[in-house]
Amino acid sequence: MIETVRFWAIIILLALGVFFTFVSAVGVLRLPDVYARAHTASQTDTLGAGLALAAVAVALGWQHATVYTVLLLFFVFITNPTAAHAIARSAAEMDIQPWTADETNDSSGPNLEADDGSDLEESTDGFDGGESR
Amino acid sequence: MGTERLLVPLSRSPTVRQTVAYAVQSGLESSPETLSCHLVVAVPYEADVPEEQEALDEARSLLERAVTWVKEDAAGTEATVECETAVLGSDEYLFGPKDYARTFQAYAEEHDIDRLVLDPEYQPGATAPILQPLERELARCSLPFTEAPVERPAQHERLTGTASWSRFLSLFGISFAFYLILGDPTYWFDLVTGTAVGLIVAVTLSHVTFSTAPTFPESPIRVLRLVVYVPYLIFEIIKANILISLVILRPSMPINPRMTQVNARVRSGLPLLALANSITLTPGTLTVRANDQRLLVHTLIDDAREDLFDGGLERAIRFVFHGRESARIPTPRERGDTEILNGGSDE
Repeated sequence: MIETVRFWAIIILLALGVFFTFVSAVGVLRLPDVYARAHTASQTDTLGAGLALAAVAVALGWQHATVYTVLLLFFVFITNPTAAHAIARSAAEMDIQPWTADETNDSSGPNLEADDGSDLEESTDGFDGGESR
Repeated sequence: MGTERLLVPLSRSPTVRQTVAYAVQSGLESSPETLSCHLVVAVPYEADVPEEQEALDEARSLLERAVTWVKEDAAGTEATVECETAVLGSDEYLFGPKDYARTFQAYAEEHDIDRLVLDPEYQPGATAPILQPLERELARCSLPFTEAPVERPAQHERLTGTASWSRFLSLFGISFAFYLILGDPTYWFDLVTGTAVGLIVAVTLSHVTFSTAPTFPESPIRVLRLVVYVPYLIFEIIKANILISLVILRPSMPINPRMTQVNARVRSGLPLLALANSITLTPGTLTVRANDQRLLVHTLIDDAREDLFDGGLERAIRFVFHGRESARIPTPRERGDTEILNGGSDE
C-alpha cells in the first residue's frame, strides 16, 4: 500500500517537474526578447529541478543521501537567480531595450486596433492570426 | 567676511570627536571673529518606519554631545562660536551616497554654508561603508569640502578583537556542521577531520566571510526566521510558476513586459541581496539592476507586477532581518516607490 503511494508520488512529482521544464523550454522559444526569456529560464531551476529533486528524495527514502538533494536544491536556489541577473544585467549594460506589448501590438489581440503604423499591423496580422489559432 | 559657516555631518564613528575638534580649529583659523558650526545628522529612513524612532533618538543624543564638544573646543578663544543642529533626511528615504550628497548640498544652499568638514570614518546608518562614493559625489557638487585629518585610533584593533571571535566561531560552526551533513556525524574519523577542516576554514576565511560580525542572540534568530521565510518563498514561487506557465501555454500569450523601478526599503548588503535574489527566483519578475536600493525589475505579466508592487517579499525580508515589528510598513505602491519605465535602461 505504502509502496504504491510512494510509487505514484514519484511519478507525479517527476511528471510535474518535466511539465515545468517543458513549459520553460516553450517559453524560451516563444517569448520575444532576452529579458522575457530569462524569466522562464529560471522556471526550470525552481520548479523543474525542485520537483525532480523532490521525486529523487522520495525515491531514496529516509536515508543520508536524501539530505544531499535538499542541499542541491538550496544551492540551485542561490545560484540560479545570480545567473539570470547576470544575463539581464549585461543585456541592460549593452542598452538592449526591453520588448513591450505596445510597440508592435501583436500580443494584445487582433481586435485591438492600432492607431499608428497600420501597415505594420497589416504585416503582422497574418502571422499573429496563425499563432493564435 | 567675518563669519565662517561650516557644515559637519556627524555619525557614530570612532573619529567623530576629532572631526568636530578639527572643524572648530580650522574654522577659527580661517575666520577669527565668528564661527558658525552646523552640526547635522543624516538619517537614512523616514520617520514612519519603526526602526527610525531609534535612529532619531540616537541622532539627537549625538547632536547634544557634539554641541558640548564644540563649546569645549571653543572655550579658550575670544571668537563667537555658534552652533546649529539639524536632523536631515527624516522626511525622505536616503538610498545611497548620491542622496546624502544632495541632502547636504540642499542644506548648504539654504544656510549659506562655506565649507563641509567630512569625517573620514563617516558612516550614516548601519549600512555598508560609503565614504569613498560620498567623496566622489561631493566632488561633483559645487560644495567645497575638506576631510578632517584624524588619527585612526586603536579602536579598530579593539573592534576586530571582539568581533573576530564571533566571526571565527560562527564560521567554524557553519563549516563543521556542513562537513558533518556531508559526512557521517557518528563516525569518529569524520568528527576529527571535520574539526580540522573547520579550523582551517575559520582561520583563513573568517575575516572575509561576514561583512558585519554575527551577534549572539540576533543572528541565530535571523536564521530561524529564515526557516519560516523559505516555505513562504516556495509558495510564492509555485504561485508565480503556475501563472507564468498558463500565460506561456496560452496560444495568444498575453504578456505585458515592463521595466519597473522599485525602491526597496531594506538595508544594503545581505538583506538587499536576499530580496533581489527572491525577486529573481519568482518567475515573472527579474532584477536587472540594483543602484543602491533602487531595484530595476523587469516584469513579464501584470499579476507579477502587482505582486511586486504589493511588496510581499520585501516585507518578508524585513521580517527575516529585523523582526515582525518592522515588517509592518506600507506597500511600495502606497509609498509611491514604484515606477513603470517604458524605456530600457536607467540614466
